[in-house]
Amino acid sequence: MSDHALTERPVVYNDAVVKKFVVASLFWAIVAFLVGCYIAAELTWPTLNLGLSFTNFGRLRPVHTSAAIFAFGGSALLGTSFYVVQRTCRARLFGGEALASFVFWGYQFFIVMAALSYVMGFSQSKEYAEPEWHLDLWLTIVWVCYLLIFLGTIMKRSEPHIYVANWFYLAFIITIAVLHIVNNAAIPISFYSAKSYSAYAGVQDALVQWWYGHNAVGFFLTAGFLGMMYYFIPKAAGRPVYSYRLSIVHFWTLIFIYIWAGPHHLHWTALPDWTQTLGMAFSIMLWMPSWGGMINGIMTLSGAWDKLRTDPGLRFSVTAVGFYGMSTFEGPVMSVREVNALSHYTDWTIGHVHSGALGWVAFIVFGSLYYLIPVLWNRKALYSVRLVAWHYWIATLGIVLYIVAMWVAGIMEGLMWRAYDKFGFLQYSFVESVVAIHPFFVIRLLGGVFFLIGGLLMVFNVFMTITSESTERPRERLIAPAVLAGA
Amino acid sequence: MFIRHEFFEKNAIFLLLGTLVTIAIGGIVEIVPLFTVETTVEHVEGMRPYSPLELRGRDIYVREGCYLCHSQQVRTLRDEVERYGHYSIAAESMYDHPFQWGSKRIGPDLARVGGKYSNDWHYAHLRNAQGIVPESIMPHYAFLAETPLDTDDIQSRMKTLRILGVPYTDEQIANAKADLMAQANPEADSAKLIARYPKANIASGNGHEVTEADALVAYLQMLGTLVNFADTNTERLQQ
Amino acid sequence: MENNVSDLVVGLMMAVFGLVGLFLVAGAADAEMYIFGIALSGFAILFDLGLIKRYHDRRDEARAAARGNTHV
Repeated sequence: MSDHALTERPVVYNDAVVKKFVVASLFWAIVAFLVGCYIAAELTWPTLNLGLSFTNFGRLRPVHTSAAIFAFGGSALLGTSFYVVQRTCRARLFGGEALASFVFWGYQFFIVMAALSYVMGFSQSKEYAEPEWHLDLWLTIVWVCYLLIFLGTIMKRSEPHIYVANWFYLAFIITIAVLHIVNNAAIPISFYSAKSYSAYAGVQDALVQWWYGHNAVGFFLTAGFLGMMYYFIPKAAGRPVYSYRLSIVHFWTLIFIYIWAGPHHLHWTALPDWTQTLGMAFSIMLWMPSWGGMINGIMTLSGAWDKLRTDPGLRFSVTAVGFYGMSTFEGPVMSVREVNALSHYTDWTIGHVHSGALGWVAFIVFGSLYYLIPVLWNRKALYSVRLVAWHYWIATLGIVLYIVAMWVAGIMEGLMWRAYDKFGFLQYSFVESVVAIHPFFVIRLLGGVFFLIGGLLMVFNVFMTITSESTERPRERLIAPAVLAGA
Repeated sequence: MFIRHEFFEKNAIFLLLGTLVTIAIGGIVEIVPLFTVETTVEHVEGMRPYSPLELRGRDIYVREGCYLCHSQQVRTLRDEVERYGHYSIAAESMYDHPFQWGSKRIGPDLARVGGKYSNDWHYAHLRNAQGIVPESIMPHYAFLAETPLDTDDIQSRMKTLRILGVPYTDEQIANAKADLMAQANPEADSAKLIARYPKANIASGNGHEVTEADALVAYLQMLGTLVNFADTNTERLQQ
Repeated sequence: MENNVSDLVVGLMMAVFGLVGLFLVAGAADAEMYIFGIALSGFAILFDLGLIKRYHDRRDEARAAARGNTHV
C-alpha cells in the first residue's frame, strides 16, 4: 500500500532563502530593539543625543521604526511566506534560485541603505515611508519580484485549493504594493539628487499618508502575520484551523474595512468632518473581523490546550493572538472622536503601537520561528526549551511594563494639556507635562530592555540550535490524498 | 452566498483581482473627494508659497525629523486654541509637500510659533534647548549654525514644486538666490523680497555666511502668520 | 540546468542596476546619491559574481556526481 502512496516525486523545496530570511529577521530584531532602547534612553536623558547630527532622536527614530517593521517584521514575513507557500502548494518556489536570492539580498540592501540615509539626513518625513525616492524605486523592484515568486508558486501548485494563509500573505503583498506606490509618489529635484517633494500637499497629503500608515499596520503588520498565524499555530498545535467559514468571512471583511480606517489618525484636524466620521465608523466596525481572526487563532487550540503548558513556543503564538485581540479592541476605542481628543499626540498612542508591535507582531514571529527553526535545520528540537520559557516571561514582563507606563504617561499628558485652574486659565505649561512623564519614560525604557534581553536569549538559543550537531528529525512522509481518503 | 468561495480558492488570479478590488474601494471613496470637493481647502487670503530661505529651512525641518516631536496642527478643541491660537485650517498647509502636521507631541505644537519668540531666542534654543528651558528634552542642534547652507539647487527645488502645483512665478524663481541672500542678511535691502513674499522674516545671520540655522529660523518665524483670522469667519472656513 | 533562465535574467538585471549605480555616482548632487550609487554598483558586482560562482560550483558538483564522487 505504501508503494502506491508516493505517486509523485517528492518536491525539493527552496529552503535556503527561508533560512537566510530567518537569520536576518533575528539579527534585525536585536538591532531594532537596541535602537529602540537607545532612543527611549534619549528621551529619558537627552544628553545621550550627544549633540551630533547623526545620533539625535529625530534621525534615529526612523531607524528604529524601519528596523522593527521592515527589517525584523519584513524578513520574518518574506521568509515564512516562502516556506508556507511552498509547503501548502507542494511546489518549489517559482522563478529559480537566482530570483529568490535577489529578493533576499535586494531587500537587505534596501534596509541598510534606508537606515544609512536617515542618519545622513535624508527623509521624506512620511511615517513608515521615510526612505527617499530612489530607495522607494528600488523597493518597488524587489517587491515586484517577490510578488512574482509568490504568485508564480501558487499558480504552479499541485494542491487544488489555495490555503488560507496564502490569501492573507497575498493580500499583504498586493496591498503594500498599492500603498507604497501611491503614498510615495514624488518628484526628485534632480535625477542625481536624493531630495524629492511629495506629489501631495497639506490635507490631501495628510489623508494619503494615513491611508498608507494605517494600512501599513493593517496589511504589513496584521494581514501578513495572520498568514503566519494560520500556518504555524495549527502546525505547532497539531490541530486544524478552528473554522473555515470564519476564516472566509473575516478575511474579506478585514481587508475591506481596514482600508477605511486611516482618518482616525486625523481627528479634530483640518481633515473634513465627513472623512473623520467615515474613518471612525469603519475603525469601530474593524473590531469584528479582527476578533474573528483572534477567535480562529485561539480556538484552533481546541483539544490541545495542554500544549500551552509544554510548548513555550506555542505559548508565544497564542499569547500573540491574545495581544492582537487586545490591540484590536483598544484601536477602535481610540478611534472614537471623544477618546481621540484625549489620546492623540500623547504616549497612549505609543503604548497602543507597542502592545501591537511587541505583543502581537514580535510574539507571533517568535512562536513561528521557534517551531520553524528546528524543522529548517533538521534538528529534533531547540537547544533549550527552558530558555524559550525564560524568553517568554521576561519579554511579557517587558511588554507589560512598557504599555502600562505609556498608558499612564499618555492619559496624564492628555489631561494636563486640557486642565483648567479655578480661575479659568490653562493650568499647566507644556513643559510641565514633559517633566511629569519622566518617571514613566524610565519604566518604559526598562520594559524595552527586558524585551531586548528576551530577544538576546532567543538569538543564543537559535545559534546553539543551528550550530549543534545534527540530530535528525524523523522525515515527514508524503502521503498521497487517495490513501488518506481510504481508497 | 451567490459565489462559492472555491471560485477564489482555486484560482490565484481571481483571488488577486478580488483582493485588489476590495482594498481599492475605501481609499478611492475617502481620498478622491478631497481633491474634487472645492471647499476642502478653504478660500482665504494671505497664503503664499515659501520664500527660498524659508523653503530651505522647511527642508531642514523635514530631514531632521522635527515632525516626530512637534506637531503643526492646532485642533478644534478649546484648550488647544487657547494654548496655541486659532485652530489650523487646511489652507495653511496647502503648499506643504509633504505635510508636517505631525502625530506626536514630545514638544509643543509649532503651527503658530511664528513671531512668538525673537530670532535670538530661536538661535539659542536650537543650539542648546536646556539653556533656555531647563526641563526640555530636545536635542542640541548647534551643528545647524555651523553648517553653511547649500544654495546651488534652490531653483531646482522651486521648479520642482511648481510642477507639483505650487504657484511660484517666473520672477520668483529667477530671483531665488538673490531673495535668499537678502532674507539671510539684516543689512540687505529687503524691499523686493517682501514684495514677492509678504511677511517674510529676516534672519539674524552671523555676518559672513548663510547657515542652515538661518534657514530654519526663517521658516519657523513665519509659521502660522500668513492668514489673518480677523478678516474671515467660521462660515467661510467651513469645508 | 533549470536555473539557467533565472540566472541569466536576474544576472542581466543586476548588471543594468550596477551600471545605473555608476551613472549616479558620476553625477551625484549629494552624499546620499553618491553612496547609494557606489553601494548599488558594489552590490551588483558581488551578486553577479555570486551567481557565476554558484553556476561553476553546480557544474563541479555535477561532474563529481557523474564520476561517482571519486574525484572532487
